Amino acid sequence: MSVPDYMQCAEDHQTLLVVVQPVGIVSEENFFRIYKRICSVSHISVHDSQRALYIRYRHHYPPENNEWGDFQTHRKVVGLITITDCSSSKDWPQTFEKFHVQKEIYGSTLYDSRLFVFGLQGDITEQPRTDVAFYPNYDDCDSVEKRIEDFIESLFIVLESKRLDRATDKSGDKIPLLCVPFEKKDFVGLDTDSRHYKKRCQGRMRKHVGDLCLQAGMLQDSLVHYHMSVELLRSVNDFLWLGAALEGLCSASVIYHYPGGTGGQSGGRRVQGSTLPAEAANRHRPGAQEVLIDPGALTTNGINPDTSAEIGRAKNCLSPEDIIDKYKEAISYYSKYKNAGVIELEACVKAVRVLAIQKRSMEASEFLQNAVYINLRQLSEEEKIQRYSILSELYELIGFHRKSAFFKRVAAMQCVAPSISEPGWRACYKLLLETLPGYSLSLDPKDFNKGTHRGWAAVQMRLLHELVYASRRMGNPALSVRHLSFLLQTMLDFLSDQEKKDVTQSLESYTSKCPGTMEVITLPDGLTLPPVPFTKLPIVRCVKLLNLPTSLRPQKIKSLLGQNVSTKSPFIYSPIIAHNRGEERNKKIDFQWVQGDVCEVQLMVYNPMPFELRVENMGLLTSGVEFESLPAALSLPAESGLYPVTLVGVPQTTGTITVNGYHTTVFGVFSDCLLDNLPGVKTSGSTVEVIPALPRLQISTSLPRSAHSLQPSSGDEISTSVSVQLYNGETQQLVIKLENIGMEPLEKLEVTSKILTTKEKLYGDFLSWKLEETLAQFPLQPGKVATFTVNIKAKLDFSCQENLLQDLSDDGISVSGFPLCSPFRQVVRPRVESKPANPPEGSRTGDLSHVKVRQRWKETHRHLRYFFPSCEAAPAGGDQTLEAILNFKYSGGPGHVEGYYRNLSLGLHVEVEPSVFFTRVSTLPATSTRQCHLLLDVFNSTEHELTISARNNEELILHAGACQRMAIQVDKFSFESVPEPPGEKAQFANPKQLEEERQEARGLEINSKLDLHKTHPSLKRTGEASVEGVLNQLVLEHLQLAPLQWDVLVDGQPCDCEAAACQVGDPVSLEVRLTNRSPRSVGPFALTVVPFQDHQNGVHNYDLHHAISFVGSSTFYLDAVQPAGQSTCLGALLFLYTGDFFLHIRFHENSSSKELPPSWFCLPSVHVRALDAQA
Amino acid sequence: MAVCVAVIAKENYPLYIRSVPTESELKFHYMVHTSLDVVDEKISAMGKALVDQRELYLGLLYPTEDYKVYGYVTNSKVKFVMVVDSSNTALRDNEIRSMFRKLHNSYTDVMCNPFYNPGDRIQSRAFDSMVTTMMIQVC
Repeated sequence: MSVPDYMQCAEDHQTLLVVVQPVGIVSEENFFRIYKRICSVSHISVHDSQRALYIRYRHHYPPENNEWGDFQTHRKVVGLITITDCSSSKDWPQTFEKFHVQKEIYGSTLYDSRLFVFGLQGDITEQPRTDVAFYPNYDDCDSVEKRIEDFIESLFIVLESKRLDRATDKSGDKIPLLCVPFEKKDFVGLDTDSRHYKKRCQGRMRKHVGDLCLQAGMLQDSLVHYHMSVELLRSVNDFLWLGAALEGLCSASVIYHYPGGTGGQSGGRRVQGSTLPAEAANRHRPGAQEVLIDPGALTTNGINPDTSAEIGRAKNCLSPEDIIDKYKEAISYYSKYKNAGVIELEACVKAVRVLAIQKRSMEASEFLQNAVYINLRQLSEEEKIQRYSILSELYELIGFHRKSAFFKRVAAMQCVAPSISEPGWRACYKLLLETLPGYSLSLDPKDFNKGTHRGWAAVQMRLLHELVYASRRMGNPALSVRHLSFLLQTMLDFLSDQEKKDVTQSLESYTSKCPGTMEVITLPDGLTLPPVPFTKLPIVRCVKLLNLPTSLRPQKIKSLLGQNVSTKSPFIYSPIIAHNRGEERNKKIDFQWVQGDVCEVQLMVYNPMPFELRVENMGLLTSGVEFESLPAALSLPAESGLYPVTLVGVPQTTGTITVNGYHTTVFGVFSDCLLDNLPGVKTSGSTVEVIPALPRLQISTSLPRSAHSLQPSSGDEISTSVSVQLYNGETQQLVIKLENIGMEPLEKLEVTSKILTTKEKLYGDFLSWKLEETLAQFPLQPGKVATFTVNIKAKLDFSCQENLLQDLSDDGISVSGFPLCSPFRQVVRPRVESKPANPPEGSRTGDLSHVKVRQRWKETHRHLRYFFPSCEAAPAGGDQTLEAILNFKYSGGPGHVEGYYRNLSLGLHVEVEPSVFFTRVSTLPATSTRQCHLLLDVFNSTEHELTISARNNEELILHAGACQRMAIQVDKFSFESVPEPPGEKAQFANPKQLEEERQEARGLEINSKLDLHKTHPSLKRTGEASVEGVLNQLVLEHLQLAPLQWDVLVDGQPCDCEAAACQVGDPVSLEVRLTNRSPRSVGPFALTVVPFQDHQNGVHNYDLHHAISFVGSSTFYLDAVQPAGQSTCLGALLFLYTGDFFLHIRFHENSSSKELPPSWFCLPSVHVRALDAQA
Repeated sequence: MAVCVAVIAKENYPLYIRSVPTESELKFHYMVHTSLDVVDEKISAMGKALVDQRELYLGLLYPTEDYKVYGYVTNSKVKFVMVVDSSNTALRDNEIRSMFRKLHNSYTDVMCNPFYNPGDRIQSRAFDSMVTTMMIQVC
């Protein structure tokens, strides 16, 4: 006996062994169809008695095992069923012959046999035979089960007879010695008459009867027989049979205690037969009736409260603890015999099954440990595999999963042992997969995402390697790629650098044949291998959705309700909302992406590998919106630090887009990495709203691009900026081409400008445009171009030289051509005397110099260069720069409907070179009080000749660096026409600002009247010059018409510059009329008329009493004049001689006149020519 | 005398494992790994006993042909497994016990290190050298 049946369990002791075998040519399919039907009849209750009979079917049974049938009767083949295929009656005798041959093999032990013939029809089938059944075909054989039942009943009859025969066989006849095959030669020549021998025979026979009883369903009887046998055999030290008797005892007890069965798979079949102990006990009762030895057993009933019955039962049946002890004992006896290895092994297995039911794992493991060491003869590879598998199963049974996995793995390795000519890689792979739970390894990478890896890495890695190898040898590269990816992904932390290299190299070589996918691989046996995304190659640390660049960022046209006001709640503020918002912040980001525009997501990645990592086809995975991902390829250096990667894509529809993750191709494996599954990723939200498409505007200008970037503090991001260089006062056209490079028509455009704060004072409109012409070309279809013209007028301060001159004069240098006196001294000399310190003038220049001192300093040097060419050390002066931003707000297409627009900014950088300076400005009274001369000292600071002209004036040519004075006769201005600033503004602005504003306005008016133009003939560039900044308060006052208008009428004729003629001797009426245009009442005034003669040589002769006499008083009195009122006083003069006389009308100084500015009292001087009366 | 010493976390993954014949390291990995079945079984059997009366030393886990595997479990369910050459009959149970106690003390020192993260692999040099002394003590 050499072939162990590892599937044996204690219950098998009560079964009858029936071998079912095909004879002749029977297809496997057909055979097993019938075999299955036969097997279904595994248990029958015998008619009259309530005993049950169990049948164990085998389709293969080694005849040498049959030889141990006396030792344990369940090993004996008692029935043979032969299945054969016989198509014609001609073959019938041959077939029948074969059946007999087959019977011969197990002939010595067979109780009965049957032959099932399929396919045969005709006379033969008509003959009634008990041992042969005919069926026309395999489908039409309904009576198979019935036949089997009959067959089993016939077996039972034989068994019963044998049992009764043996049981009653104690009349003193010579009991034959039962023995196992290897014992036979030992007993040759033994004294058969010794007491010892007889006892041995008796003991063995008892044991045999016990077996038969057990098989015949008489459990209690068998227990009794076993007990007796144990007693007998113990006394004669017949250890092998003692072991068998003990095992029989154990088996019977197990059957009693565990009617559910101990054998895993076969358990089910027993359940239907007997599930309750009571039922089992009932079943035994009829059999027990025949037992004479133990009357207590007669009434044994599980539910019978009779104590005597309990005692009797307890006496015969072993307790669960005893079962194990007895098993131990039996096994120890078996182990004395080398030839009984199989028996011992099977006993171990049976004991383990019992212990597994008893949940005594530790002891079970000891039995198993013992079983491992039982050395059978040289096992074939297949048997080894079987043995290891069964060990693994048993360990699993007792809950030793690791040990089970260990043996399973050994079995798997055995499948592909080098000694096997055809390694079973498929089987090996299957077994390896079964070990996975034992090594607490699941093939789902998700289980490894949480925190650090917790597992027996060294062992798991080994297993994965083996899986990879087995699957490769199996010829399933997809599997090996999957396993290898899994190994790389989950065991990355445990791989050494060299291993990482090796693994990736082999992975690359596998994927070259079969790229790794994201599909779930389903194995034939139903196991699924989830995809393995490489979330660690590279490791992503941070995911950030980027806003669109400023120029493309959509902005919502502000509605009345702010966007942030939640419409869900009636409260403006509630802590609950704030809380929600905090949660939402994790998800939704407060900017928008635009349909059809390239959107970016930035990832911070790093490469954990000790070599360069090539990541290909890296793109975004999104949901919610149709998204066209534009994959990128990157190469990360070995063990790189955090490395920013930008993934881009274009949303194709609108809605809310969620960035779920990214996909990569690394080492030929495609991975879809979802952000939710990534450990330790910082993300600021992954949901963004996609708004409908907007047009895109591209602008190009006629001007060169600027190298400068505008001040970053400006806040706006400038997409492009252009620069231009202009002379001060020059105007240039900037032609902007607006091209719609998007896919949507551009429907709306608004242009605004913003001049960045500059230290320079700017006059006039820096930028001006007419949008209407451009808008006429709208809507602008995609690809179309519109033009837009902006006028740039650089008009800075043209003044400046005061400080320069002061600097110069401080150094004691006097420059010819620059009058060093201030204009006011010339003009209002008389008043200066009365007001020696002139506060407004001083403070003004002070202010000016304070503001502009830095800039001036440079310019001073610049100009010094002109004045003193030897002054080489002077630094090159910086030009003044003006910066402005043109904002184009545009919209169109579906985005416009939704109320979004875009803003494009064009930066404008203008370098203003100084052209002309008005170094001095002064006024000279003209002959008329209504006019005056404006004197401008013009300095050409350019390197080119230029001409300058004012309205109605001649052109003045200025050479480079030249300075000339130009005089312009101007009418005095009445500033009353300048509108006052709106009252509201006046209230809030401080007086100084108001004053400045007013002054600016005046300057503007003056400037427009002057209309100064300059031309660079050589450069063909023209421009304006502005005096605005040059004019100071005093000059302005001089240019202003005084609010008190004085008119002097001689003889009723208004007299201004023209000389009035009169006759000597005739009284001439002189009328002084005051019109008050000022907002307050003035006066009263006293005026004295002082006549004098101008000798044209600087001498004024005031001594004219003899030549002129006043008619009446020479002093005029004027009453107070209300605003807008008029007052007149009259007097008369009498000229006694001919000649040219001047009348100087002088005010009496009194308090009221002092309050008013002196320029208000500017009376025209009266020139009277007295003529001879005759003439 | 010990050929392999392993410290196993509560969740049954190795915190530390070292064996003397380094070439057959994997063999010891398997051995210690499978011994955990027995440890688990013993612990679950002990679980019924009162906590304070619990014996930390688990005794012989199982013998193999060449080695004997002993186990020890701390109150925090950290397991120590020691594999001893079975040819070394001089080793008595008491000696094994004291070796485990030494190991436990050293492990406690490791845990006291504020820079050690419970659950990480033990990389302490002091612990390592202590294990080394245990491995070469006799043989």
